[in-house]
Amino acid sequence: MVKSQIKSNMKKLTLFISIVLLAQMSFGQWSKGKGKGYYKLSAWYLNTDQHYTDTGEIDPNATRTQFNLNFYGEYGLSDKLDVIAYVPFFARATQNNILSGTTGAIIQEGEGINSIGDIDLGFNYNFFKKGKWSASAKLLFGLPTGEDAGGSDGSYQTGDGEFNQYLSGLLGYSTSFNGAPFFAKAYLGYNNRTQNFSDEVRFGLESGINLFNNKLWLIGRLDVVESTFNGSLNAQNVAQGSIFANNIEFVGIGAEASYYITEKFGVSLGFGGAISGRLIAANPSLTGGIFLDIK
Amino acid sequence: MLKFATKSKIFPTIMKRSILVVLLFSLTLVSCIGDDFIDDRVAERISINNPISEIEVNDSYQLEVTFFNNIGQPETINLNWSSSDESIATVSPQGLLTAVALGDVIISISATLTDGTLIEESQMISVRAQVDDNATLLTKSGVIATTSSYVLTGDFTISEIQDSPNLDLQIAENYQASTSLPGLYLYLSNNPNSINGALEVGPVSIFNGAHSYELENVGINEYQYLLYWCKPFSVKVGDGEITD
Repeated sequence: MVKSQIKSNMKKLTLFISIVLLAQMSFGQWSKGKGKGYYKLSAWYLNTDQHYTDTGEIDPNATRTQFNLNFYGEYGLSDKLDVIAYVPFFARATQNNILSGTTGAIIQEGEGINSIGDIDLGFNYNFFKKGKWSASAKLLFGLPTGEDAGGSDGSYQTGDGEFNQYLSGLLGYSTSFNGAPFFAKAYLGYNNRTQNFSDEVRFGLESGINLFNNKLWLIGRLDVVESTFNGSLNAQNVAQGSIFANNIEFVGIGAEASYYITEKFGVSLGFGGAISGRLIAANPSLTGGIFLDIK
Repeated sequence: MLKFATKSKIFPTIMKRSILVVLLFSLTLVSCIGDDFIDDRVAERISINNPISEIEVNDSYQLEVTFFNNIGQPETINLNWSSSDESIATVSPQGLLTAVALGDVIISISATLTDGTLIEESQMISVRAQVDDNATLLTKSGVIATTSSYVLTGDFTISEIQDSPNLDLQIAENYQASTSLPGLYLYLSNNPNSINGALEVGPVSIFNGAHSYELENVGINEYQYLLYWCKPFSVKVGDGEITD
């Protein structure tokens, strides 16, 4: 099998990385402001032994893990324009050993690969701000820097092997409840994918409240990805035996708690996962990290 | 100034410790490749590899059998051979069949497992005055059915080929498989839940309609199941028992 012809099913897993990226945004601020920034070092982990099939039902699979250490940063180039970077500088994908439940003998050796993951770079431009309302546009480029066909069968991935261009618009509202800052955001975006993959429409909501005298942010998220089904990639028109997952869809939820230990420095913990979907892992991912918020 | 100095001292310490915790936690997660156990127990069985239904009187024929253990793997075991009527045909402890007189006889092969379970296989053989040299080619059949929530369905036949050690596997017109399946492969197996010891026929490239495979150097009784297997997920998608 020609490695370059392999399109891995694990794209469904790397899609969760996108959820993580969405989750990395700093809280309640629509742009950072010139010279200011938000920087985060995180570990992200997914252990999945089941997935949503093409009919939306959940089927088992061999246990796979996806892990990365990543850096996320937002820096204000001007009062309205931020540069954004998501760099998974160490990524690992593994599969468990498969053993006979009868004899205990190994049927298939487990495997793991290490590499850098797919890097996202982009900009966020805050074009409207009036009172409690704010609107911005974001452009992200997903660079195929990760491994898209690793391991003995080419199914181990730390990246999706294609160049994404994701453009989204975001509308936000901020207020306070009993003195506690609160925000809500809604976004709608279009992800243009290459390599015969279908494009995606993404939309979602995010809301957060700041408690304990600006010490703790609690964030909740809803993310929806819908395929446009305009990509020709399927099992019939790729190399025999190739593995892939095109037309992935899901509704995902996530939550995160971020605690400011000092005015600028804090720790965060979060989880996210699909509650329904198509060709995507059906277990939650976990993330934990430390951040520096230069206000 | 004092307050600022104190903070700036504490800050790097917390940060360093936090980075250390993140890295240690990460290394713990990263280093693990765990174990998945699959339920691969099947019933033990004896299979006659080269069955015949007729034999000429005074002829001999070496019957060959395989014992498949509780995971569907071939295993050497003590076998007992017997004839239902030794006046018609006899069979040696090594499986050599000798036709003695005209009539029908049942040849049985049995094995006693360590737990005392008796496994048996038998075949009726007719002893004739003359047997057609063009022996009937055996054909078996089955139904492919999904064992997952991916679409997989269809009928199949598997037949011996005249003067060939190969088999002809014909998948029927009503066959249909989901094109969303990642890394779908077809196997012949003696265990419906495992590809351990299975014969990999190859990747599936046709997802609906009739098609065929020629299986090289495979006996008609050598495998019990067609097995559709998703390689990257290491799970069964569907199967079809090969029946007489």
